[in-house]
Amino acid sequence: MEERLYDLIFICMPTTPEEDIAKIIATLEQTATERGGKVEKLEKWGTRKLAYRVSKQREGYFVYLSLRATQGELIKELERRLKVTDAVIKYMTIRLDEEMKRQQKLAARREQRVRKRPRRPAGPSSGSSPAPSPGPGPSPAEPAAAAG
Amino acid sequence: MSETHSPAPRPHSGPPREGGGGRPGGGPGGGPRRGKRQFFRKKKVCRFCVEKIDFIDYKRVEMLQPFLQDRGKVLPRRMTGTCSRHQRWLGVAIKRARNIALLPFATEL
Repeated sequence: MEERLYDLIFICMPTTPEEDIAKIIATLEQTATERGGKVEKLEKWGTRKLAYRVSKQREGYFVYLSLRATQGELIKELERRLKVTDAVIKYMTIRLDEEMKRQQKLAARREQRVRKRPRRPAGPSSGSSPAPSPGPGPSPAEPAAAAG
Repeated sequence: MSETHSPAPRPHSGPPREGGGGRPGGGPGGGPRRGKRQFFRKKKVCRFCVEKIDFIDYKRVEMLQPFLQDRGKVLPRRMTGTCSRHQRWLGVAIKRARNIALLPFATEL
């Protein structure tokens, strides 16, 4: 099965000591590697304000993980672990590989287009009049249409 | 940002906007209308198209914030000028950010 890219974010209670957070991350990483996944990126965003109250908290400690997995079972297990951890107040997993694929496709297409016609003379981007009017100001370039 | 929901050819009786009310010469965004007073309106362009962004990252809140109203609603395309494709992606990104408490569903007072 092909590899999938996931984003996993979880929020801990702001009162959680650093060691506990490190422990949670360590268990997650271990679980991921055990089941054939790989943690690509790990970012601790630290304590941030929450946009709304979660478990009566207004702040939370954010941890962001980017991981690759071949089977959805791993995500299930990670989410189960986060669910049973008391310090974690919120978590979210997003599958991103399809969007990344789309992004690469678009970027490739754009590059191809640029290569196809290199340095096209910059025409008037807006408006149909070919007159070189300076700036988007109210130019008298189209008197016939406006005067009526 | 001015609203653009009145394409009717009659004189617009709304409040005078920037650019000194009506001008006989139509701006680039207005289009030719017959002999009526018109408002000069700057043509809005999709910010994501200009910056050539293919993926709107939900994690970058400061990038999403300008597309939200004060209370947390998503701004419509007619306000921001975003193209339809990017508006769709933007909606997805905002919803993701809301889900993980990076953006509010509704700001409480």
